[in-house]
Amino acid sequence: MKSLALRILVCGLVTGLMLEAALPQTEDELAARTMIMALENIWNNAEKGGDAAALSLILDDAMVYIDEDGSLLTKMQFLEQVKQTGPQLQSLVTDAMSVHVYGETALVAGTYRVTGVARGKAFHREGRFIDTWVRKNGAWLCVAAQATPGAPGDVK
Amino acid sequence: MVASSIQASAQNPVQERILVLKSAWNQAVQLRDGKAVEPLLGNELIYIDYDGTVMNKGQYMASVKSSALHAEQVTNEAMKVRVYGASAVVVGVYREEGTRHGKRYLHRERFVDTWLNREGAWVCVASQSTLITH
Repeated sequence: MKSLALRILVCGLVTGLMLEAALPQTEDELAARTMIMALENIWNNAEKGGDAAALSLILDDAMVYIDEDGSLLTKMQFLEQVKQTGPQLQSLVTDAMSVHVYGETALVAGTYRVTGVARGKAFHREGRFIDTWVRKNGAWLCVAAQATPGAPGDVK
Repeated sequence: MVASSIQASAQNPVQERILVLKSAWNQAVQLRDGKAVEPLLGNELIYIDYDGTVMNKGQYMASVKSSALHAEQVTNEAMKVRVYGASAVVVGVYREEGTRHGKRYLHRERFVDTWLNREGAWVCVASQSTLITH
């Protein structure tokens, strides 16, 4: 049920984005910021819930994901990973996020903290990320995402 | 909007141009030439280094000029450029070998850069690296 609600929310946001494409530039940018933040929240909920189907709706088919160990994942590989690791996650929190809109492209930079249990062992990871979003046919899709481990509290 | 993708042997002029700029960036890092790297970067640059350090343009340029860093060989591998209208995303592997504080180092980092076309000139507005450890 949670998954269905999430998918309905994603569809609603995508539709909303298509309607907003006709707004003036500054309002459009403001709306883009709001929507992209909403999409980032959807991402977190979907990843935490292992809901690859919901996540798939907001990722471009050619999306690339750079994981914390430097490995390069395609969209399908990333979704498969989400299905497997989602149930292990206890919390996934993003913070200190800034959104930068450049016309049909937007960047989100921020920090993340993940806790969970894998194979009976608790884990805690944190670092920084940048997601790159592109508006295609009125809908924002993530085309690249990257995670770099590190302690956000320690960085400059 | 249709995205186009290529390997480093690009034929598309935009992709070729960006690969040339990436080479110029590497050369500037190797020569510790902050002035040469400056026009390649947008003023709002967000740079996330392989250790999670986040830098703005000024901080990044200072790091390029840092006396602690001596990059002897800087190369990019397996680069792909995807162009989305007035923006482009470059994914690849950055390899840097040299000395830092007198000690030798070799890094292989996976990076993603986002470039924007501003009045005909491409500038990088975001660059992030992750150390390849797998």
